[in-house]
Amino acid sequence: MQFGVELTPRSEVPRWLVYATPVFTILAALAVSSVALLALDVAPLEAYRVLFVQTLTTEFGIRETLVEAVPLILAGLAVYLPLKAGLWNVGAEGQLVLGAVASTWVGLNVSLPAVFLLPLMFLAATVVGAIWAGVPAILKAKWDINEIITTLLLTFVAADVMSYLVRGPMQSPTGNFPQTAILPAAAQLPILPGLDVHAGLVVALVAAVLVYLLMTRTRFGFEVTFVGSNDAAAEHAGMSKTRVYVLVLVIGGVLAAFAGVAEIAGNQARLRAAFEPGYGFTAIPIALLGRDNALNVVLAGLFFAVLFVGGDSLSILMGVPAALIEIIQALIILFLITAEFFKRYSVDISTDLRVRGVRADAVGEDH
Amino acid sequence: MAGDDFLRMEKIRKTFPGVVANDDVDFSVRRGEIHGLLGENGAGKSTLMKILYGLYTQDSGTVWIDGRRLDADSPQDAIDAGVGMVHQHFMLVPRLSVAENIVLGSREPASMFREEADGSSSLLRSNRLVRALASRFTLGLDAPSAEIQDLADTYGFDIDVTAPVWELDIGQRQRIEILKALYRDVDLLILDEPTAVLTPTEAERLFETLRQLASEGLSVIFITHKLTEVTAVTDRVTVLRDGTTVDTVETDSCTRAELAEMMVGREVLFELDKETVSTGQPVLDVTDLHVEDDRSIEAVGGVDLSVSEGEIVGLAGVSGNGQRELAEALVGVRPATAGAITVGGRELTGSSTQAFIDAGVSFVPEDRDTHGAAGDLSVMHNAVMKEYRDGRFGDGVQLDYDAAEAYAQRLVEEFDVRGVGDVTEAEAGDLSGGNLQKLILARELDRDPNLLVANQPTRGVDVGAIEFIRDELLAQRQAGTGIVLLSEDLDEIFDLSDRVLVVYEGDIVHETTPATADRNRVSLLMNGGKQPDGDEKRAVTTRGEA
Amino acid sequence: MSFLANFLGATVSAATVFILAGLGELISERAGVLNLGVEGIMLVGALTGFITTVLTGNYWLGFLVGGCCGMAFSLLHGFLCISLKSDQAISGIMITLLGTGLTTYFGVDWTSRSISGFPDRTLPLIGDVLVEIPVVGPALFRNTMVDYFALLLVPLVWLFLYRTNLGLEIISVGEDPETADTMGVDVFKIKYLAVLLGGLMAGFAGAHLSLAFNQLWATGMTAGRGWIAVALVIFAQWRPARVLVGAYLFGLFSVLQLRSQALSLAFPSDVPFAALLNGILDFLLNPTIMATYPYLATLVVLFVVVYRNENSHLDQPSALVQSYTRESS
Repeated sequence: MQFGVELTPRSEVPRWLVYATPVFTILAALAVSSVALLALDVAPLEAYRVLFVQTLTTEFGIRETLVEAVPLILAGLAVYLPLKAGLWNVGAEGQLVLGAVASTWVGLNVSLPAVFLLPLMFLAATVVGAIWAGVPAILKAKWDINEIITTLLLTFVAADVMSYLVRGPMQSPTGNFPQTAILPAAAQLPILPGLDVHAGLVVALVAAVLVYLLMTRTRFGFEVTFVGSNDAAAEHAGMSKTRVYVLVLVIGGVLAAFAGVAEIAGNQARLRAAFEPGYGFTAIPIALLGRDNALNVVLAGLFFAVLFVGGDSLSILMGVPAALIEIIQALIILFLITAEFFKRYSVDISTDLRVRGVRADAVGEDH
Repeated sequence: MAGDDFLRMEKIRKTFPGVVANDDVDFSVRRGEIHGLLGENGAGKSTLMKILYGLYTQDSGTVWIDGRRLDADSPQDAIDAGVGMVHQHFMLVPRLSVAENIVLGSREPASMFREEADGSSSLLRSNRLVRALASRFTLGLDAPSAEIQDLADTYGFDIDVTAPVWELDIGQRQRIEILKALYRDVDLLILDEPTAVLTPTEAERLFETLRQLASEGLSVIFITHKLTEVTAVTDRVTVLRDGTTVDTVETDSCTRAELAEMMVGREVLFELDKETVSTGQPVLDVTDLHVEDDRSIEAVGGVDLSVSEGEIVGLAGVSGNGQRELAEALVGVRPATAGAITVGGRELTGSSTQAFIDAGVSFVPEDRDTHGAAGDLSVMHNAVMKEYRDGRFGDGVQLDYDAAEAYAQRLVEEFDVRGVGDVTEAEAGDLSGGNLQKLILARELDRDPNLLVANQPTRGVDVGAIEFIRDELLAQRQAGTGIVLLSEDLDEIFDLSDRVLVVYEGDIVHETTPATADRNRVSLLMNGGKQPDGDEKRAVTTRGEA
Repeated sequence: MSFLANFLGATVSAATVFILAGLGELISERAGVLNLGVEGIMLVGALTGFITTVLTGNYWLGFLVGGCCGMAFSLLHGFLCISLKSDQAISGIMITLLGTGLTTYFGVDWTSRSISGFPDRTLPLIGDVLVEIPVVGPALFRNTMVDYFALLLVPLVWLFLYRTNLGLEIISVGEDPETADTMGVDVFKIKYLAVLLGGLMAGFAGAHLSLAFNQLWATGMTAGRGWIAVALVIFAQWRPARVLVGAYLFGLFSVLQLRSQALSLAFPSDVPFAALLNGILDFLLNPTIMATYPYLATLVVLFVVVYRNENSHLDQPSALVQSYTRESS
């Protein structure tokens, strides 16, 4: 008796699977992570209660979540848009860091009132983010060099460049710490009244709306969708794959750079050499979860913000290492990938069936 | 050299969704004979051979090799039974050497572990564990290399087996494929359209090799649609048509014309009302067009073509003779390497695809799934694929999806595209071949093009849709569009065209009209069965992929 | 000049990490599977190896366990990419995140332990003589067994890939899995084998880090070496010998980073533009700037390769990053 597994590509994905996927993956990730909690003698349900409920029901928790969500949403959008065109912007982290560097430099060295200084800082970040993402974009469009490799390599270069600058030319003259001086008040994002959260939140939400409109209301969004689905057909339709690739990556780079600005000018007020937040990598599961439209990216960003803030509380209140959140994050990606598989193929496990090497041909092919 | 039947395939039946590829086919081959398997594209030749070679499994019917039943589940089974296949698309790893390619998968251990080795201890040769390790962790190349080089020299192949494959040309690569089979000691060799990639001289060399092999007892099956080859090299030939066996004959006893008749049949599917339309200005003017294929080999070797308003010019030819490259060049998707293309009086040679589209050129590509539509996207997306830039879909950067939806809805209704509930929800990939083709046609025709290029528009499409599509083409002709129709279906060409051109190996080899044409002659020319007209250009060494 | 000897010795040890991880990734990529999870797998190897050695006192056992745990962890990546045909890049990044998270989470208690590390050995017979060579002697000829093992691995991997049937099959699967399949090669098994070997070597590399190079465990102690290993394979254009060269080059960079202050190189003041040149030199020798060199070097190689070949990527395994299904395309 032989054991056979037969994979048949699905022609369409069952509705319930599409909607259930995000929910299932999150639940699965949390379930598996409870093993890690149990290993440290921590009751999972109790831990998750602290993680989610506490975060969402206290004023402090909500405020921290919104602050945390700002760079996550922006970075998520930075990965989401290229993904729609079929590209992986794995270098969002590097673009983010350099955006932080450029804007901090401007904030520290240019004296202008806030109404001019802040836009200037964002402008500096725009230039830097565009270049850092634009180079891999051109390499991909012209010579088909894998953008995953190039954006990744540039991320590490960016982190080192930032570290060098912060320990050297940009280092604060007071004290000998690897950090810059505190940004002057004019260079800091104002606090939104009532919410007690910095204006970066507005930037993030506006960006999300703009990306959403771009994708759903403009011709360019149409081209992005088409190129991402079938670039050969797109070229038959006269669309320029090169233009689409370069533009989505450049916009992505700018968005990621904005995340860097928002985080420093809004939250941390100075740039530290240890600024390696990992938002650029978290952006990947965020983009995957929010894959269908930019507003879902906001939701996914908020979810991860809750995770991070909750994780901090968890480590303070229950002594659980904050690394648990990294584990949960990785598991979410893991289950998302697995779900992707089940969406594409239906699996039949059979016994007593010899697995045949069938070459399935399209109907109506020659011969 | 005839002998008993070495291969017998009895009542082979194989169906795919919507199509019966092999309909109770009987096929047998004698020992030491070269047997041709002749038929048009879609006749079922390739399917039959893939069943023999273990790539497909038949729905019913039996295969006998040398008196023993063969149930091949994989190519390995077929190879073990002595059946080898030389594919059209070579299965070679360019980075590896010839010898490495040939021994790949056979896990030959190094010399000292081989069974025939003398001078080494029997422990090395016979112990199972040692053999298992040796076959994995050593690489026996020297003895096999010598053997392979020997084989190659015997048949005059002129190949250095230590050379990496990427250095070799196509003719040599094909010989490596043959060597692979010979090395595996096959008794029956299947060649799938082997001359599709060869020059006439190389083809002649191949035939010599095959004759030599046959004289030594090897049986050869030669799949082809080219009549010249059948008469040149085969002893007997079996003709397939539409999935059934027409007949098996001694090659010498038949004329090419008779074979063509068997291959093509004489059914006329549709009676179409074709009104005479007075043709107008030239919409397309092509001079001395040269186009390369994806391998940078010339596929179109100097074609002149002109099409007027309200005229359908039919290009008859078997797929793989440069039609794809020609069609793509005419619509600006593939750059021409030489020559000029003028559309509606405007020179468009070298312009972007967008420029061609803007000049009123529409295209129904051969490969609707890869080039004609994005399968994951909705019917609406695919409907506006080319027109989305137009002002009626929004001003400036905005795209009015509501207008797009209405437009798509109208197209779906007017062109009877079935299987679409909501145009924004139904995915193009879910449509049947015929309905997708109708959608594509709708999109391409609704913009009222000046020039339409349609490459195999009814291939793989159900009968009802075929009729619809042909009617639409005629209607568009009436409306004044100039149409270039490329098709393998001679009936279609003759029913629809005002003028008929025959394409063979990248050249136009004949021009006629439906009224005055000699259909047999056209059919022969399509299949290379006759010399082209005296003052036509000689077919240059061109090739396409089949 | 014990500084120089010390310096060279550290380079050898640093290079060993890159050789091990780099060769492992090379094998995996040769079979067409990109593994961006090397960083995470190395951490798993480092932690498990460290724990084993602390508990048992046996270095070799720790090294072995580290390798095996790395191999087991890479099985997950293999399963996702090969059987589930997932996006290889995302799976790899997930493995790194998971490995980093898991080792940080479970490794908290082990950061305060210390061990004395792998003992140094000299080569048998001639070793005692060679060690006496000034400067070079102690650096090159008194190292841990792992260092010698890594050096030995380079020709071994070369032989494995180019002179064995398994190696032939690995290369063919990475170039053209459909052809390999037609020739009777078990494509899935070969890919799994390559991924597992890659995981094993990455695990060894991590174990070497915690047991010999640093002789301790710290969260995130790989500090990007896994990523450098991935870059190294591209830099080496998938050739084992070049992995050796690149490993030593990158190893040199990483050691220079730590010791650049002690170098005190400078142009003498009478050289024209001395101040400017010294400024540039300071910049180039700055530790954090030096950290970018492996990545920049790889990017340069990428440019050069593509620039020189119109059919670019001549050396990259043609089917790298593609999943294989036995259906015609």
